[in-house]
Amino acid sequence: MKDVVGNPEAIQKFASWIRSWEKGIPKKRAAFLYGSPGVGKTVTVEALANDFGLELVEKNASDYRTEDAVRRFAGLASQYNSLFGRTRLVLLDELDGLTGTADRGGVKAITDIVKTAQCPVVLISNNAYDPRFSTLRRYCILIEFKKPAASEVMKHLKRICLAERIHVEDDASKFVAQRSGGDVRSAVMDLQALTQGREGLSYDDVNWLAYRDRQETIFTVMRMIIYGKTCIGAKRAVDMADIDRDMLFEWIYENAPSHLEDPHDLVRAMDALSLADVYRGRIRSSQNWGFLRYVIDHMTAGVAMARRNAQPTGWIPFRFPERIRLLSISRAERGMKLKLSQKIKRKCHISARRASKEVLPYLSTIFKSNVKMAAGLAKWLALDPEMVEYLVGNAKNARPIINMLSQE
Amino acid sequence: MWAEKYRPKTLDNMVDQAEIVERLKSFAESKNVPHCIFAGPPGTGKTTAALCLSRDLYRSGYREHVMELNASDERGINVVRETVKTFARVRSIGEIPFKIMILDEADNMTSDAQQALRRTMERYTGTCRFILIANYSGKIIEPIQSRCAPFRFSYLPRAEQDRYLKSIAETEGLSLSEEGLDAIFEVCGGDLRRATNTLQAAASLDKPIDSKIVFSIAGKANPGDVREMMETAMKGNFLEARKQLRDMILKYGVAGSDLVRQIHSESFRLEVPEQWKMKLAEIVGEIDYRLVEGSDEEVQLSALLAKLVEAGHELGKER
Repeated sequence: MKDVVGNPEAIQKFASWIRSWEKGIPKKRAAFLYGSPGVGKTVTVEALANDFGLELVEKNASDYRTEDAVRRFAGLASQYNSLFGRTRLVLLDELDGLTGTADRGGVKAITDIVKTAQCPVVLISNNAYDPRFSTLRRYCILIEFKKPAASEVMKHLKRICLAERIHVEDDASKFVAQRSGGDVRSAVMDLQALTQGREGLSYDDVNWLAYRDRQETIFTVMRMIIYGKTCIGAKRAVDMADIDRDMLFEWIYENAPSHLEDPHDLVRAMDALSLADVYRGRIRSSQNWGFLRYVIDHMTAGVAMARRNAQPTGWIPFRFPERIRLLSISRAERGMKLKLSQKIKRKCHISARRASKEVLPYLSTIFKSNVKMAAGLAKWLALDPEMVEYLVGNAKNARPIINMLSQE
Repeated sequence: MWAEKYRPKTLDNMVDQAEIVERLKSFAESKNVPHCIFAGPPGTGKTTAALCLSRDLYRSGYREHVMELNASDERGINVVRETVKTFARVRSIGEIPFKIMILDEADNMTSDAQQALRRTMERYTGTCRFILIANYSGKIIEPIQSRCAPFRFSYLPRAEQDRYLKSIAETEGLSLSEEGLDAIFEVCGGDLRRATNTLQAAASLDKPIDSKIVFSIAGKANPGDVREMMETAMKGNFLEARKQLRDMILKYGVAGSDLVRQIHSESFRLEVPEQWKMKLAEIVGEIDYRLVEGSDEEVQLSALLAKLVEAGHELGKER
C-alpha cells in the first residue's frame, strides 16, 4: 500500500471502508473510485487487497457489457465467500467503457448488485459524475483520486530507476514527471521506453519528447485524409487516430478548408462533411450505430476525393479545432448570460431570450464606458460583482463600479 | 435602463399609435376590456400599451390585478394549466370585477398551450381578460384570434421617434445632433426600444452623439450580420466567413433556425444571377430540414458558405 504514489486521504478513506466490513456489512456496500487516468485507482485496490489478504475478483468493462453478463459474473461473486474462506473483493474496473444504450442495462445490473452485495464491491471510473451513474452513485461511497504532484511522480520514477539500476539525471526524471501531467502510468511507460537497453539517461536524451507530443499522430492522420489518394487509404486513417470519431471529425472540419484552395474542391469537401454530420444525427436519433460507417466514409474518403483541382501548396500547419476550444469557453459564458438575462427580464418586461439579444450588448457598452451610469444600472438590476465584471470584460475596470455600489 | 425609465406610464403619454390609444382609452373609461391581441413589430409599444391600459384601469392597485407572463420563456402547456389557470379563476375584489393577464410574445407559445389557453379564456372570461402580445398574429391559432379584439401596431413614423428621443436627450442633458438622429433611425428603424437603448449606450460615452458614435454602437450590438458573412464568402474568404458564422452561433447565441431564415431572405437579395438564387434556395431548404433532423448548425451552414465561395468564383470568371 505504501508504494502507491500520492493520494493519502483517498487511500485512507478507502482502507477504513474496507476495514469496516470486518464488523459486518456497512451502509454503503460499494466504493466508487474516480479520477483521471493513471493516478493509481486500480493499483490502490490491488495493493489493498494484497495487504488485507482479500481475494480479488476483477473484471474490466470490456469483458462484460450486457446486463446478463454483469449479473452472471458479479452476481455470483458478490453473494458467496470464496472456496478458501477468504473474503472476496469484487472490482469492476473501467466503468467508462460501458457506453451507449446497449449497455444501459449493464449499469442497472451493477446497481442491483451493489444494493445486495455481501462482500465489498469496488467500482472504478474516470468520471463518477456521468449522468448514467446518477442512481448508482447513491449507493456508493465516493472516493476521489487526484493527480499526484510532479514531485511525487518524480520520486516514484527514481525509486524504479534505483531498483532497475539505471542512472537517470534529476533533470531528466523531472522532465518526464512533468510531461505526464500527473499520469503516473504514462510517466512509467515513458521511462521504460526511454531507458530500454540503456544504462543511463540524461536531460538531452529526453527533451526531444517535447516535440513528439500526442498530436504528432493526429498530424499524420490528417495528412492521410486531406491529401489521400485512395478511399481505402483515407478510411484506414481512422484506426490510426488515437482520438474519438467526433474529435477526428472536428479536426478534419477545422483543417480541410485551408488545405483546399480550389472552390469546387472546397464545396465537395464541405458537402462530404455535412453528409457525415447528417449521418451522425441519424445515429443519435435512431441509435443505430451501424450508420457510423457512412459517417466515416464521408468524413475521410469523401474529403480525400474532394481534391480534384487543387495541388498541395506549400506547408500549411494543422490546427487544433477552434470550435472545441470556443465551446468550452462559451459554456461558462452562456451560463452567465442566462443569469443576466433573467435579471433584465424581470425589470424590462421582455423575454430572457430577447434580453440577451437586444439589451445585453448595449448594457455591455455602457458598462465599459461609463462608471456612473453603470453603477446606477447595476443597482437597479441588482447585479452582483461577478456580473459587473462580466459586463465590463475585466476585473480591473469593474472595480470602480463595484466600489461605487458598495458605498451606497 | 432608459427604455424603462421613459416608458410611458399612462395611455395619455403613449407615443403615436393614436387610433389604438383612443380605443384603449375608451376601454379604460367604460371599465370594461375584451380579450385583445396586440400584434406588431418589436419596439412599437405593445407591452407599454398593455401596461398603460392596466394602470389607467386599476390606478394604484394595478399590481394585484395584473399578471405579466412571458410566453417565450414559459411556453409549455403546463404554464397554461397551472400559472394561468390559477390566476384566471380567482375573482378579483374591487370595483372592476376582472383581472388582466398579459401574455407577452404569445406567438412563441406551443400550439398545445394555445389550445389549452383557448378553453381557459372562454371559461374564465368573467374573472380574467387576456391581452396577448405577438409579433405575428398569424402564429396565434384561429380560435383564439376570433375571441380577441385585434390591434395592429406599426413602426413609429420618423417624426414621432425623433420627438421622443429629443425629449429624453433634453431631460438627460445630452447633445444629440440631427445627424445622430438620422443614424439612430437608420439602424433601428422605428423600433423605439432599440432606439432608446442605442441612445443610452451612445450617451454613456459622454460625447456629443453623432452618426459615428451611433454606428459604432450599433455595430457592437448587432454582430450577427448575416449579409456581411455571405459577402465575405462570395469574395472567396471561406475561413473568415466561417469564423463569422462561428461567432454568431457560439459567442452571440444566434439560433440556427434564425440564421437559416435570414440567409434565406438575404440570398434573394445577393448580386448573383437569378438561376443561382434558386440553387441557393434549394440548399437552404435542405439545410433547414437537416437542422430539424438534428444536424450540426455550423457544419451544415458552412457547407452553404462553401457554395457561396464557389458562386463568387464563377461570377468572377464571367466578368
